[in-house]
Amino acid sequence: MNTSQPTRTFSWESLGDLQLGRPNLGPMAPVLAYRLMQFTLWDVLIGEFGPEKANDLFRRAGNLAGKEFCHNLLDKNLPFSEFVAQLQKVLKEQRIGLMRMERVDLETMQFTLTVAEDLDCSGLPCTDEVVCQYDEGFIAGILEEYTGKVFHVTETDCWASGARVCRFSAKLIGDAPRD
Amino acid sequence: MIKEARDKLAVLLQGKVPDALETEHCASEEERQLANLLNELFTYMQEVHQFIVPLSQGNISDLTLPPPRNFLSSPFKELHSRLMHLTWQAGRVAQGDYSQQIDFMGDFSEAFNKMIVSLDRNERELKIKIAELETALSRISQLEGILPICSSCKRIRLEGADPGQQDSWEAIESYITAKTQTMFSHGLCPECVKALYSDFT
Repeated sequence: MNTSQPTRTFSWESLGDLQLGRPNLGPMAPVLAYRLMQFTLWDVLIGEFGPEKANDLFRRAGNLAGKEFCHNLLDKNLPFSEFVAQLQKVLKEQRIGLMRMERVDLETMQFTLTVAEDLDCSGLPCTDEVVCQYDEGFIAGILEEYTGKVFHVTETDCWASGARVCRFSAKLIGDAPRD
Repeated sequence: MIKEARDKLAVLLQGKVPDALETEHCASEEERQLANLLNELFTYMQEVHQFIVPLSQGNISDLTLPPPRNFLSSPFKELHSRLMHLTWQAGRVAQGDYSQQIDFMGDFSEAFNKMIVSLDRNERELKIKIAELETALSRISQLEGILPICSSCKRIRLEGADPGQQDSWEAIESYITAKTQTMFSHGLCPECVKALYSDFT
């Protein structure tokens, strides 16, 4: 018997057919379930690899999710401001969060945006830290998929650091590597 | 220390931010901790004050945000975030992007979103009106100028055609129909009826 784990490569199809699989419960689940998985996974990863590596893994997973999300749910051919309006709408429809764009500089490709009522941290007690590394990667992934360039996204305000919305700063750092 | 703390709290309640309490001469560790906590409160109030005053005056773009962990400032930072978002969206709408929508900002969202729908509809209706007017204008311009017309049979001479050739002259009905797509129905006016059919009147 082959006991080695198969190598997984994410694809959108691997999310399954929710209409088929959850005909009664539907596609939505409580934030509690999301956070339960997120924070226990984070706990295990920190225990296994330390906080820095765990945060990096979360960021990378978020980045992959952001790219797939953009590729499968968003129209990448829209002009930027219409793309932002569409992103805001889809994030709301999917109950991921209320995104609000604050600043856009298309010349330098720098953006500031906030996400309220987000899945990861809204309502957490103030612990003087930012905890949305997954969202940092998620936002970077969306921007990278849309622009074809690489972004560095930093969370500057977070529920867990005492703010009521999460604020992210996105900066262009270069072209995407060729496959 | 207690008296000094009381005086500084009184200053705070008068709407001013007091100087920090001296912690070096505290009589006990508990007093020192209390002084540190009060100083932290004073710092937070100072940061909130420095942030909210220019915000209340509409200066939103160049504000220095209070640092993270200042929990007292968080509602104001959220307000600032929403104002920044509104400013950006209003700018997009001003450039004709009517895909923008405001989410969950109470009556303001409803008013703003209605305004965008209304602007979009008005602009589309205006564009249709302009197109109709441009079409009408082009038809009018087709009839402008001096028309060479036969004094007797009222045929119109085609533009640039040889006046000596009979096929250079076109009946006025077909000329106007070609230029304006106006159709003619034929009848006789009383004077012509009298002239043509005097025996029957």
